[in-house]
Formats: sequence, C-alpha cells, structure tokens
Amino acid sequence: MSSSVIWYLKEFVRAEWLRKFFFAKTAPLETPAHFRGFPQTTENECTHCFACKMICPSPGAIDVLQEGDTWAPRIYLGHCIRCGLCVEACPEDVLTTGRLLEVQKIDQTSYVSAFHVMIDTVLCKRCGNCSVACPVNKEIDPYLAGTGTASSEEVIMRIIRGEMRVIHPEKCTGCKTCEESCPNHAIRVARVVQGVHGPKGPQGALGGGEAPVLEEGGEERS
Amino acid sequence: MSILQDLKNTVRSKSIHVCYVNVGSCNGCDIEILACLAPRYDIEQYGIYVHNNPREADVLLITGAFSPQWEDKLMGLWEKIPEPKVAVAIGNCPISGCVFNREGSYLDPPVRKHIPIAAEIPGCPPRPTEIIQTILTLAPVIFRDYEGGAS
Ligand code: SF4
Ligand code: SF4
Ligand code: SF4
Ligand code: SF4
Repeated sequence: MSSSVIWYLKEFVRAEWLRKFFFAKTAPLETPAHFRGFPQTTENECTHCFACKMICPSPGAIDVLQEGDTWAPRIYLGHCIRCGLCVEACPEDVLTTGRLLEVQKIDQTSYVSAFHVMIDTVLCKRCGNCSVACPVNKEIDPYLAGTGTASSEEVIMRIIRGEMRVIHPEKCTGCKTCEESCPNHAIRVARVVQGVHGPKGPQGALGGGEAPVLEEGGEERS
Repeated sequence: MSILQDLKNTVRSKSIHVCYVNVGSCNGCDIEILACLAPRYDIEQYGIYVHNNPREADVLLITGAFSPQWEDKLMGLWEKIPEPKVAVAIGNCPISGCVFNREGSYLDPPVRKHIPIAAEIPGCPPRPTEIIQTILTLAPVIFRDYEGGAS
C-alpha cells in the first residue's frame, strides 16, 4: 500500500509527466483523405445527362451549369449532405469524393432507375398542360396541340378518348416539368432507383438500362 | 483602450464559453457537438467550455432549421448573452433547411434572418473537427478590440 503511494508520488513529480499535464494540447485532428467530403470535379467531361441532379436527395444541393461550351456540375455548400450518391450515379465519373469511385470499381456496383408517371384520374381535369409542357413530348411531336391531343403514338402521355393517359412512361427523363405545370397536382413523377451489380456506364446510368419494376399496389407512392 | 482591458480581453479569449441551442434539428448535429466534448476531440483542452446557460456564454452554437416555436424565443435567448458574443450556425439546417426545406414545411431558414450569425459550418452533420476549427478561428476575434461595456 505505502509503496504504491510512494510510486505514484514519484511518478507525479517526473518532469515529463508535469510537462504533459500542464501543456498537452493536440492540434485539431485532420480529416483523413478517404472520408467522404463534398464532391469535387475530376478531369472527365460532363455530358449534362443530369443523373447526378436527379438522384440528389437534398433540395438545391447540385446543379449542372453551362460555362461557355462545357457543362459542369456545381455543388452548393449548406445544401449538400455529402451522401455521395451523385458520385456513384454519374456515368462519366465527373465527380469524386473519398474512395467512393475506387470502391465502386472494385465492387462493380451501379444504379439503374426509371421514372413512374402517375395521374390521379379524380384530380385530373384533362387540360393537357402536362402533355404540352413535357420537353420529351415536344421533341417527339412538335405539333402537340394545346389540349394535349397528339397524332403521334410515341409521346409519353396524351389525351385518349377524353382521358389523359400515360402511354410511354419509359421515355420520361424525370424533369418534373409536368408536375409543375399541372394546375391540380394530379400528375406525379416518382423516381425508382435500384442498386445493381454490374459495371457503371452510360447504359447502366440513371434514366437508361433496364427499368426496375414497381410492384402492383406500389404505384400510389410518389 | 486601457492596458487592464487589454489584459482582460487576452485572458478571456483563452477561455471561451459555449452554449448550444437546437431550433429544430434532427439531433445529428447535436451529437457531433457532443463528440467534441468526448476524449477523442476533447474541446476543453483548447480552453473552450460548454455550458447550457446563455448568461455565461460567449459563443452560441445553433443547430436546426428554425421551427415556428422559436420565432419569439431565439431573439430573447440571443439578448440574454452578454457582450461580446457571436453565433455559429452548425450544419446545413440553419443555413438552408437542408432536406427538410420542402414544399409545405413550416420551417423558416436561414437562421441568419433571425439573429446575426458570425460563421456557418456546412455539412449534414459537420464533423467535430470542423466545429472545433471554427470555434478556434473565432475565439481570438470575439474579444479583440472589445472596449468593455457599460458595467
Ligand atoms: S451525372 Fe455526371 S455527366 Fe451527368 S450531368 Fe451529372 S456530372 Fe454531368
Ligand atoms: S453528395 Fe449527395 S447531397 Fe451532395 S450533391 Fe451529391 S447527391 Fe446531392
Ligand atoms: S417528368 Fe419531364 S419528361 Fe417525364 S413526363 Fe413529366 S415533363 Fe415529361
Ligand atoms: S396538367 Fe394535370 S390536370 Fe391537366 S391533363 Fe395533365 S394531369 Fe390532368
């Protein structure tokens, strides 16, 4: 007992111990490079496919902007939650953070996604706004009438026998222009993303590839 | 400025007192503040002390996207803090409302609309290192040139 007290006292008067006790101060810890941070851009060229923007879960976190002849994604601090989904979704590896791209290459994972366009027939007043506003429709049928009646069978949605019907949901790019132009909040676009095993590339990127299928009864979700 | 005031400022800037308030966050940022107190980051070794009393605080850490209940309370809390004082917004929520700022929500970000904010730390949540770095950067500034209020 007494020997251990003496041992302690001896320990406490060591210069090294005293110095550490009174002056120990570590610099704030560094963030290791492999931590996921705010995504940075790489040298790769952005094809403005908007896959990054479509998958981003945080409002206003990412935009793809045109600067001169080139496009580039821009991340907004204060909005971005560092989830890294945009890094994983980009088919061109334009964005990078931490070890994410490296790990994705090793694991051979990617995303496929599809957009489900749903119209609530009770709320829809068949104005045709959605069909006319849709930029994909506009490209397919530039003569799409103001009431949503198209002669083309290739458009995403059009008025058929007095009802607004979705006929080609697989062509939807998820821009949600239709949602914004609908006066009744009748049309809803839902993004369904699935993680899959397989190399990343334009074919497996968001908006392309084999679309995941919503189970029956799941259609109501938006 | 008197030499005495200078001395007081120097001493006080070595002992920063922090108070934190959650104005509607998910608790993620609050957990990161908590991590600052734990041994790994150990905020007290830098002379930063956390109390939850605005009357003895120099720095107010704010987390959360400003829910309606705070409308009449945050200003009162801010005024309770004696001069000199700074407020730091922690995380995306007080900056932008983060993922909660959607159509139909009752939130009213940014917090800088409601009280003056000296620094904002983005992240969801920001890392303890980022929180500590910010407070350490502000610490020498708070008391610099403080003339001493009417006492
Ligand atoms: S996903 Fe990649 S290529 Fe597509 S817009 Fe975003 S950064 Fe550009
Ligand atoms: S990291 Fe996540 S939150 Fe940030 S921009 Fe990319 S997808 Fe959006
Ligand atoms: S989300 Fe865009 S592309 Fe899809 S149907 Fe609506 S307007 Fe058309
Ligand atoms: S814009 Fe809305 S209300 Fe009009 S046809 Fe489309 S879904 Fe129906």
